[in-house]
Amino acid sequence: MDSSTLFNNYPISNEFYDEMYNKNEIRPSYKKLYDFLRNFPAEELSKKEEMARRLFMSQGVTFTVYSGDEGIEKIFPFDVIPRIITASEWAYIESGIKQRLKALNHFLNDIYSNQFIIKDKVMPIDMIYSCEHYLREMHNLKVPHDIFVHISGIDIIRDFDGTFYVLEDNLRTPSGVSYMLENREITKRIFPDLLPQNNVRTVTQYPQILYKNLAALSPRHNSNPNIVMLTPGIYNSAYFEHSTLARLMGIELVEGRDLVVDNHRVFMKTTEGLQRVDVIYRRVDDEYLDPLVFNSDSMLGVAGLMSAYRKGHVAIVNAPGNGVADDKAIYIYVPDMIKYYLNEEPILKNVPTYKMEDASERKHVFENIEKMVIKKTNGSGGYGMIIGNSATEQEIDDYKKVVLEDPRQFIAQPIISLSASPCYIDGKLQPRRIDLRPFALFGPSGIEIVPGGLTRVALKEGSLVVNSSQGGGSKDTWVLSV
Amino acid sequence: MLSRVANSLYWLSRYMERCDGILRLLRVNYAYSQDDFEQFSWRPVLMIFSDMDGENIANVKHEGRKVLQYMITDRLNKNSVFNLVSKSRENARSVQDNVTKELWQCLNDYYHKVRLNDIATSLQKEDPVSIIDDLVQQGMHYYGTCEITMARGEGYYFMNIGKYLERAMQSVDILNVKFSELNYSLEERSDPTYWKYLLLSISGYEIFLKSYRSALDSRNILHQIVWNEHFPRSIMYSVRRLKQSFETLKSDRNGEAYKAISFMIGKLESSIKYSDLKDLESKGLQEYLQEIKQDLLAIGHAFNHYYFAFN
Repeated sequence: MDSSTLFNNYPISNEFYDEMYNKNEIRPSYKKLYDFLRNFPAEELSKKEEMARRLFMSQGVTFTVYSGDEGIEKIFPFDVIPRIITASEWAYIESGIKQRLKALNHFLNDIYSNQFIIKDKVMPIDMIYSCEHYLREMHNLKVPHDIFVHISGIDIIRDFDGTFYVLEDNLRTPSGVSYMLENREITKRIFPDLLPQNNVRTVTQYPQILYKNLAALSPRHNSNPNIVMLTPGIYNSAYFEHSTLARLMGIELVEGRDLVVDNHRVFMKTTEGLQRVDVIYRRVDDEYLDPLVFNSDSMLGVAGLMSAYRKGHVAIVNAPGNGVADDKAIYIYVPDMIKYYLNEEPILKNVPTYKMEDASERKHVFENIEKMVIKKTNGSGGYGMIIGNSATEQEIDDYKKVVLEDPRQFIAQPIISLSASPCYIDGKLQPRRIDLRPFALFGPSGIEIVPGGLTRVALKEGSLVVNSSQGGGSKDTWVLSV
Repeated sequence: MLSRVANSLYWLSRYMERCDGILRLLRVNYAYSQDDFEQFSWRPVLMIFSDMDGENIANVKHEGRKVLQYMITDRLNKNSVFNLVSKSRENARSVQDNVTKELWQCLNDYYHKVRLNDIATSLQKEDPVSIIDDLVQQGMHYYGTCEITMARGEGYYFMNIGKYLERAMQSVDILNVKFSELNYSLEERSDPTYWKYLLLSISGYEIFLKSYRSALDSRNILHQIVWNEHFPRSIMYSVRRLKQSFETLKSDRNGEAYKAISFMIGKLESSIKYSDLKDLESKGLQEYLQEIKQDLLAIGHAFNHYYFAFN
């Protein structure tokens, strides 16, 4: 079918949607890339791959795995073949995410104040109070500009027929945006001129948009607000991202021990004494933010931070308490929220989801377990889930027992056959399953989504798990302008 | 600037300076050990830069390869090049947004180079000088990158403060150990190669020949290392540069701290400047060096107290 060794024996499958091939035809959006790669010797591609690896290593785009006393530097695996999204696909995704975030933000404002959605019986009250990320401390707290979800990452997948679905909403401290930026920088180096030839839209404006939004939240109306990024420190696996974003925005990267609260105002300890802090972009989880209010053992937070926040003397991004909106059981109600708050039909679909708490739904799931994925409602990183068709009977039985102990903490979804994109593996192109996480920024002037995102890829053949902790990698993600 | 950041930059720079000093010392001493294997001992190097006790030093003082391995790749020696570079990088990593991307990459590359296992093997089997040269080069790359890319702001000056404080201490330590071998006597006649290698190890041999044009006399050696302002490793030069870097930190917001440290540095500078070989001899060399070392340590503590205390 093709003389080029790269494309030799590329398997075309009916079981999943192939991003590059439509049956035996190359999709028009991939045509230029295909022509470019067809004339590209496989050895050259291996060199490019090695070059990318070296660039990541030397720039310290790594995460550290600790075993014994010495840390081992690991690279988040990068596949050199980009993933392409057409202009119309993007317009659809973008409008769907904006709609969804508007509704979710309404929901957070509502649930932490009047709770109309419960009074109007759109959602049962026990869904809220059984959610461990619901924060009573946020009740009746007026957040600046009514924005809770300043920064979000919405995970999007494609089923075998190409339909887009939202798999989950990440509204707390979503990570990965630095990889979106770095992957693009690497593509510029390894494939010079390829980006402009393909009319790929740029993603580099992300830090500037974020900075603009953060500055707009400053409680003091001065021209140069003091904005800081709060990191758990160098041992956090996303530390590289924290320092990259701080550098790109020119803001101070602080740890909890650099901050102190005095008279309900937050200050940082500098060589010239204490300096007032206006806005905190925190990458520390809710429960570690303030030892006086949440986990009292926390060394990562700042004592008194919540009181300063409550008084309106400091802005915290994202707002605490968002976990109630990205809980996997609450996810079931997002289409209802869109109808309830916006009076619109949802643009992006939810994956059909079963509540394990509901006896009849649970029965259905257990009877069809080989077609199901069961997940913890608050799990992440691909942990705490079981995929029905790849688990042993023993594993399934054990898992069922755990589910029955506290069914509220679990949901189930039919196994979605994720779409696949060609990856360069063992000297030739092979299809591997992917997802997409675009990053949305919600500021006082509206929602902006940088055209692109993080495409994660399950590098193991046949695997559907894209998480980096489970052998996943990533790709540069191209959104075409025409 | 955050106190924690200032502290990290200061230490990042101190570790790199120490690393450079150690590598140069090792390189020259190794060459010396090939020239004069009967007289030569690694004792002074180990005395200055390691925690080894007298007994252990006695065991390895003639075992060049072992010493090199200990000083370069040993994970347990806290002043090994490996540990110094790792600590430097760790500090850079925690303040990554305050150093330039180039500087971070340079330290990161150095780290990946020095942690390779083949360095340890090559140190045992191949020419150690090439390996040391390679590491020194990486250090030069660091110095150059720092000079060329770092903004002339607080961060850069805190790095310089760390660098020159460390360098001054090293020069004092080197004199201390070298003269202690001669019981601090300036009259003790010593083999000229002894002084020649001392000067070579601190890159001061050529400047010595140009400045003093005379035999390798212990008084001239002392003069060069303590007072010669044209010699970039002299105590005087280091203290001057320390003072210059410190003066840029002057600010209305931290007057008390500035005044206290400014006094200490000024006093040290004057005490060196307005003393000469005669004063030194009447006081006794050991005592003289001890006083300078105490002053330098006190300045370091004052920085901790006034600028870096963030807990």
